[in-house]
Amino acid sequence: MDFLFGNIVHGLAVAMTPANLGLCLIGCVLGTLIGVLPGLGPTATVAMLMPVTFRLEPTGALIMMAGVFYGSQYGGSTTAILVNLPGESSSVVTCLDGYAMARQGRAGAALAIAALASLFAGTVTTFLIAWAGPAIASVALQFQSPDYVAVMVLGLVAAVVLAHGSVLKAVAMILLGIFLGLIGTDVSTSEQRFTFGLDTLFDGIGFVPLSMGLFGLAEIMFNLEGGGEANRTRVAIDRLWPTRQDFREATPAAIRGTLLGCFLGVLPGGGSTIPSFAAYSLEKKLARDPSRFGHGAVEGVAGPEAANNAGAQACFIPMLSLGIPPNAVMALMVGAMMIHGIQPGPQIIQKQPDLFWGLVASMWIGNAMLIVLNLPLIWIWVKLLEVPYRFLFPAVIVLCGIGVYSIDNRLSDVVLMAFFGVFGYGLRKLDCEPAPLLLGFILGPLIEENFRRSLMLSGGDPSVFVTRPISLGFLTVSAVLLAAVLLPAFQQRREQWSEES
Amino acid sequence: MFLSLKRVPLRESFSALTRIALSGVAIATVALVPTWVAAQAFPSQPVSLVVPWPAGGGSDISMRLLADGASHRMGVPVVVVNKPGAGGTVGLKDVAQSRPDGYTLAMLATGALFAQYNNPAANPISDFELIAFFGDDPAALTVSAKTGFKTVADFIAAAKAAPGRIRNGNDQPGGTSHVTASLLEKALGVRLIKVPYAGFAPTVQALLAGELDSTTVGVPDVLQHHQAGTVRMLGVAATERHFLAPDVPTFREQGIDFVSGTWRVIVGPRGIPADRLAILESRLLETMNDVEFKAKARAAGFIVAPLGRSDTARRLAAEDAAMYPVFLEAGLVKTRQK
Repeated sequence: MDFLFGNIVHGLAVAMTPANLGLCLIGCVLGTLIGVLPGLGPTATVAMLMPVTFRLEPTGALIMMAGVFYGSQYGGSTTAILVNLPGESSSVVTCLDGYAMARQGRAGAALAIAALASLFAGTVTTFLIAWAGPAIASVALQFQSPDYVAVMVLGLVAAVVLAHGSVLKAVAMILLGIFLGLIGTDVSTSEQRFTFGLDTLFDGIGFVPLSMGLFGLAEIMFNLEGGGEANRTRVAIDRLWPTRQDFREATPAAIRGTLLGCFLGVLPGGGSTIPSFAAYSLEKKLARDPSRFGHGAVEGVAGPEAANNAGAQACFIPMLSLGIPPNAVMALMVGAMMIHGIQPGPQIIQKQPDLFWGLVASMWIGNAMLIVLNLPLIWIWVKLLEVPYRFLFPAVIVLCGIGVYSIDNRLSDVVLMAFFGVFGYGLRKLDCEPAPLLLGFILGPLIEENFRRSLMLSGGDPSVFVTRPISLGFLTVSAVLLAAVLLPAFQQRREQWSEES
Repeated sequence: MFLSLKRVPLRESFSALTRIALSGVAIATVALVPTWVAAQAFPSQPVSLVVPWPAGGGSDISMRLLADGASHRMGVPVVVVNKPGAGGTVGLKDVAQSRPDGYTLAMLATGALFAQYNNPAANPISDFELIAFFGDDPAALTVSAKTGFKTVADFIAAAKAAPGRIRNGNDQPGGTSHVTASLLEKALGVRLIKVPYAGFAPTVQALLAGELDSTTVGVPDVLQHHQAGTVRMLGVAATERHFLAPDVPTFREQGIDFVSGTWRVIVGPRGIPADRLAILESRLLETMNDVEFKAKARAAGFIVAPLGRSDTARRLAAEDAAMYPVFLEAGLVKTRQK
């Protein structure tokens, strides 16, 4: 413990220098801003900041880049709650209940819960990185391809739980998502699938155009169909702060979300998106009355928001302690280190203690800054809802267009987003929900890749999935969950809930 | 981008008067030394350097360093534009179709050699003017410490004792490390299980997790784990030892002629006027031969080994001759069969 305390003090000393504090603030403010702007994500922003970091001292550069990343998790929920438009892919599920809360006039409460849950998760994860980062990273190294398959199967089963209505439609949406995920070049063979020879589809469909189309644009069309203004809630916003009841419901959800986010964020390919989906499924599964979900359940905001922030910070663990970047933003940070001649890897804690502990300490300072920054902003954001829809929606569409274009500088992504907007509108008309589709889209290709790799490594023997304890464990849980969904008694109860709602 | 912001305002802050005065000087000079001015007229606006890979990878970092240095040499900002997609073919296609005025350049790497045979939509190398060679990122044969292999000879012996049993992780078929693994099989006379991963980071992760016995990725990707003793680099596929890992012998030192890895070339669209090509070539070579630049690139882990236009063309022809049979054998040649 003394060791930990000494290091944190050392880290605080590094992070508290005026220059580093300033860079942390710049990162957090930028992160909040790009988080609020739909589509413009941390990856593009950190990439644009790269040349600036040539001139900075490496610790300060990393502190700023890290601030952009976790800051965007705070900002991303804002548009999700206010206009049903996920600012980041990790806030897709925040749309479900956060937007429902806003429609009930509780936008302020939803934003406050999201910010506080994020702060809680950020604080816990910071201490976790400091205390057990390397140990956790070595646990992640126990995971091999068959285990990933099992974890993701569990994710897909949980996706059924994500849906409000018909199980059949949820399964159909998952399958459609998996199919969309298969488009592009196959990792195992380099063959192109369903690309029609189009360059645009060579790397598959991007997650951002897909999610912004399905959620954001479809929502706008749906609102306009109802006459725009008339369709919007005119509930008076009486209070901005959550009630005591809200806090009681949100706290356990935030704790569970944090743990889940830490765990899933550490795994390769981790980040903040999958944890947020997983946390939502978990909350809905645990809730005494799951029918409240989708209609403004506080847990549906607190759980995923805690999870995405925990995930965003936990993915620093493999990057800092193994030098293995689990996602694009971490890859950029590795790049920034390399420019300064620092080889990321297991020795970084010993060789660069200032950088490691300074960065960890700055994360906690950054989270504190973000809450100071975000709580007063809630009032302004809620005011935004009073902007007439005829002014709001064109602005939102333009921002979406800019955001999507900025990812890879490709116009075709904007066209794809428009296509999925129309597609999402059709789905809504048919009462099919886009959230299970998105989960299928993310997990399907990963399952396939890891499944084929597992069989390649085992020489075609499928027993690897049940002989490895980690894999067996997750598959068993999936089977139990699946049985629970399919059992007729359970089915009847589901119908009851649907009727009640 | 931000680099350029720093310089542009300075240039534009000349007052109108100064500009008139300067143009007077310019006209005078035109009359005196016409050829010199014609040469100086290019470049007169920012040059974009398209990197067909996402920001943050080795290609991006090396090109950002180069752009930073070249901006000083050329007197105009050289701006890196990331246009990733389709294994580099999207960005390269953009450049191939751009105006050949010398203001749009691209980085072309090993993968483009493969793409021209595999992807009908990709541009063949002949659509580009080769301007300068940046350098190589040599691959290394790295094994998990658990295997107990200490030398390439140990590896060969084990692979021969159990053909097709040693698990080797690399990227997707046709990718740099897959090609390296295939060339390695030929050079060593062994057969491996080649397991594809989506990139180098997951491959290294799998090597550490014990899912793999060996990898054929670049030196910087495994360096720290090698130093920590969890993995061991058996041989570097270069003509000389890598400066980051001077303890690791090359394949040649161990009696095997095997050189492989990623290389990077600066190209432009076909049809750039010869005088501009010459300017670009010499400015880029000056940048890359600069002592300070070399030190910076070295600190970031890059070997800078600049070559001019004709040497670059010779080098690429040799690479093509070595790699084409590998693609053909793996059934990856779909178009432009030779």
